[in-house]
Amino acid sequence: MFEDRRIGLALALPAAIFAAALFLLPVGILLSEGFRADGGWSLSAYTDFFASGRNRVVFLRTLKLAALVAGVSAVIGYATAFAIVSLPPSSRGRVFALVTLPLMISPVARTYAWLVILGRTGFVNQMLVGTGLLDTPLRLLFTETAVFIGLLQLFLPLMIISLVSAMENMPRDAVPAARVLGANWLQVFAKVILPLTREGLVVGGTLVFTGSMTAYITPAILGGSKVLMLETLLYQRVTVASDFASASVIAMILMVMAFSANLLLKRLASARRAK
Amino acid sequence: MSDYVSLEGLTLAYGKTVAVEGLDLSIAKGELIALLGPSGCGKSTTMRAIAGLMTPKAGRIVIDGRDVTRLPPSKREIGLVFQSYALFPHLTVYENVAFGLRLKSAPDLDAKVRDGLATVGLSDFADRAPRDLSGGQQQRVALARSLVMEPKVLLLDEPLSNLDARLRLEMRMELQRVQKETGITMVFVTHDQAEALALADRIVLMRNGAIEQMGTPEEIYSAPVSGFAADFVGFETILPDGAGGGLAWRPGAVVLGSGPNEGTVRGTAFAGERREYILESPLGTIKADTPAGAAPLEIGQSVAFDLPRERAAHLARLD
Repeated sequence: MFEDRRIGLALALPAAIFAAALFLLPVGILLSEGFRADGGWSLSAYTDFFASGRNRVVFLRTLKLAALVAGVSAVIGYATAFAIVSLPPSSRGRVFALVTLPLMISPVARTYAWLVILGRTGFVNQMLVGTGLLDTPLRLLFTETAVFIGLLQLFLPLMIISLVSAMENMPRDAVPAARVLGANWLQVFAKVILPLTREGLVVGGTLVFTGSMTAYITPAILGGSKVLMLETLLYQRVTVASDFASASVIAMILMVMAFSANLLLKRLASARRAK
Repeated sequence: MSDYVSLEGLTLAYGKTVAVEGLDLSIAKGELIALLGPSGCGKSTTMRAIAGLMTPKAGRIVIDGRDVTRLPPSKREIGLVFQSYALFPHLTVYENVAFGLRLKSAPDLDAKVRDGLATVGLSDFADRAPRDLSGGQQQRVALARSLVMEPKVLLLDEPLSNLDARLRLEMRMELQRVQKETGITMVFVTHDQAEALALADRIVLMRNGAIEQMGTPEEIYSAPVSGFAADFVGFETILPDGAGGGLAWRPGAVVLGSGPNEGTVRGTAFAGERREYILESPLGTIKADTPAGAAPLEIGQSVAFDLPRERAAHLARLD
């Protein structure tokens, strides 16, 4: 675009300086904290972190919940996205707006809404006790299920949006063509829709997985200190214990997991395509 | 006529919008039928219904003695070549053609695919990706992909409209050859009367979701039944005959320069071999043309003309 490439690079300079000074440097300092002990370099913060059974539970729970939310949102997302792209263009825009609507509402407000629904005197328990199905209210809050539900509703729209745009890029009539050639719906999905929307699935999957993993508000409100995830643990280590070494370790773990998830999904997508 | 494919009282609707109403049509085995009409006449909708991509509101579809009205597309044994070709971009040409055969675990898959590619002259393109092919080649892949399934009926949606003039002629001959070789029953949809006339054994002219006229290309071309049918096949001057019907002339049938009528030239266009004129006259708007060599008329000029009865088509209805 520019006759001289340096002009283009110069335009990116302010953003680059901003990012370097206010992002890379502090993150670098924070992360390096995890490799220091007794004035020297050491991995003891990491070994200490994983030596604790409680930390391992939190680590595995975070991994499990994030993967579960990504997986379930992919299943629901495919169904929803296919329904949306099958609509006539006029109503498609309206339904798509409905999907994106939650993204415009504060995640704090959205998560607090779950308290109203899942609390001891919340909607679900009132229904269960009121209809006589249960004698005493269920404990729904501060469980992994509650965190899972909260994360799923928080990130599902991202998956749907990624998959809708991927499906919109599929050749028109690819699905009916497969149908006419004898494919049932399962085969249509496996042989046409999935291969043609892989990139959308990778994007959506990465967004949902890393989003769920690094979410703070939802596990804080719906999980509390009973169902800690890495983010809530990080916050607790810093505010309660001023334990910056653990905080640094957690931050590193989250970062590594986010990058690995993206790489893994990309690898899966391209490996299948090469076949 | 044997009814290999029959549509009985077929009514098709998108929501509350009725696209086709009470359509009856029988197609003989090995016939090449054109569904002809302007956009919105219901021709594509009818084809989608035959393919099973749309469920009828009412009526039946029978193919080779089997009622397929409620069957999914996958069970109908029909082929459909989409206007957009709808090749699978993630598969090679070979795998595109093999797609349906693999699903039914057909024996001799490789031989059938090679055969199919040979039929459309694309044997050397087996390992290419669809995006590396020209539009015409892509369409031939789509054709091969349908043909290898040995469908009972092959449906083609606007098979020639995305091709340039030279390829169009080539594809037209290709389709005729394939039809002759395989004896397959073909139904194709087109808005282009020239295409329908050149290719079809029988033309079904559709209008507003119903059949306007059905007949051989000769009948459709020379004996339209209504003003609509006449207009669609190039009778551009249509006048009432005073008895509820109408008379219609092609531009070339109108005699310019002599005759009992007088008109004023309102428009003119040079069209290569012919020069076209629009005249305004007490009878109505007249469209005429003359050989390009004739002395051109000026806009605003008065000119005598004749509408010879013996060259007119007699229409049963004027609308």
